[in-house]
Amino acid sequence: MEALSSLLAQLTNGLIVGSIYGLMALGLTVIFGVLKIVNFSHGEFYMLGAYISYLISQTLGLHPVLGVLLAVLATFLLGMLIERVLLTPLYDNKVERKDEYALLITFGLSLFLINFALAVFGPFQKSAPALAKGTIDLGVITVSSGKVLAALVAIALLLGMLYIIHKTWLGTALRAISQDRDASAIMGINAERLGSIAFGLGTCMAGAAGALLGPVFLVYPVMGGVPAIKSFVIIVLGSMGSIKGAIYGALLVGIVESLGVVLISPAYRDVYSFLILILILLVRPKGLFGGAQWHN
Amino acid sequence: MLEVKQVEAGYGKIQILNGMTLTAKENHLTLLIGPNGAGKSTLLKTIYGFLKPGKGSIVYQGKEITGISPHELAGLGIGFLLQRVSVFPELTIEENLKMGAWSFKQNRSRVYQRIEYMYDKFPILKQKSQEKAGLMSGGQKRLLEIARTLMPNPKLILVDEPSAGLSPKVTKEVYRVLHDLKQEGITLLMVDQNIRDSIGYSDYVYVLERGQVTSESTAADIEQNLQQVVESWLKF
Repeated sequence: MEALSSLLAQLTNGLIVGSIYGLMALGLTVIFGVLKIVNFSHGEFYMLGAYISYLISQTLGLHPVLGVLLAVLATFLLGMLIERVLLTPLYDNKVERKDEYALLITFGLSLFLINFALAVFGPFQKSAPALAKGTIDLGVITVSSGKVLAALVAIALLLGMLYIIHKTWLGTALRAISQDRDASAIMGINAERLGSIAFGLGTCMAGAAGALLGPVFLVYPVMGGVPAIKSFVIIVLGSMGSIKGAIYGALLVGIVESLGVVLISPAYRDVYSFLILILILLVRPKGLFGGAQWHN
Repeated sequence: MLEVKQVEAGYGKIQILNGMTLTAKENHLTLLIGPNGAGKSTLLKTIYGFLKPGKGSIVYQGKEITGISPHELAGLGIGFLLQRVSVFPELTIEENLKMGAWSFKQNRSRVYQRIEYMYDKFPILKQKSQEKAGLMSGGQKRLLEIARTLMPNPKLILVDEPSAGLSPKVTKEVYRVLHDLKQEGITLLMVDQNIRDSIGYSDYVYVLERGQVTSESTAADIEQNLQQVVESWLKF
């Protein structure tokens, strides 16, 4: 009985963490789909989201959920600003090797943001307040209310994002750009302007994930490294550019990680996602939703 | 309607257009013909702002549009039918048409009115309105591209090889549709390799070679000398 409840507890944990990874991976997918670049500073937006939410709830004394929402807004605006300042050379033909340019810029940005956080917030780990106090008794298992609320907020943000992508003019235009940039320009769509919105949407999802997981793990300058790598794993195993892939891939990684912890050993927690990646790529080299476009 | 004056443009260091000058008259179908590499498609891309001309000017309805970005031209009433398939394959047909209405998306009632108009004009699009555009046949995609271009009611449409990759039967249909557009008062500037079929629908023809206009005349005149013109391209 104890083994079963520990398994169920980990499974629930996996789903909760998975839904938050899903946010982060979806953010990476939106950026990749529209701008055709991989954002190597994604983990640092996760870190910034965690710090912003932590500072808002700690120093201003606001409710942590409000902290999360403000962190989403702040990372959205910051993402748009950074895209405008650093990534615009991608659009005119001044840069010859665009992929390399984007790689170097976002990688450099990642280093800058980590050191910025070190200088401003210090190297010490902070523990952010949980989104809610107490636990919820589900019969066999009990889960902390804070985690459940974090998962609910993550799911609400995910659904909101999917609504934007699939049901609004903005989202349809973003999908159009991702499928045929020239044709969308002919329609009068300003891909450059929408590119910064897409980057902002992508980074704010990383910010949201950091703000939601800050209370679960700890808040510190290099906290974004592992989640960033995991979101790369997720989008590759789900197929680069596929929205379905990002979401299902994240849930899969969350569950496999948690089950691995119970069934094998907690020491290898961060290895399980790579094992899954290797196994899936062996069978389906293009990933779970191979060949699909990013909005599916 | 559209005047191209002494335009020079190309890709990187390779110059394709060497001082191109021509005019597309209002309500005419102006046809550009010439051998491969003459700069026909390059000219259309330059007019539409995909390539920035090094020299020269492009004037549309008395307004200088040289070097304007492509996304600004849709709002000015200029459409562009690309040579390659350019539907958004993973968007539904209705979403594709909506994207054609991007420049006036604030006016929702007009958007839906235009979509209904296109459904009346091209019933096949209505039948499949909720299907993904990528699943349609080549000819249907071409009709969707035309309908999408017509959404903002353009005054001028640049057409690049409308018959590329299509069966003879579909090609005929496409020419018929383009001819109807001209009857409705739309000015067309068209590049076509399929000279024998397209010349009959044209009003005025420019012959391009090595990035310049080498001759021009009414379609009726050139139709008589077509054999000679085409043969001259082979004597390089």
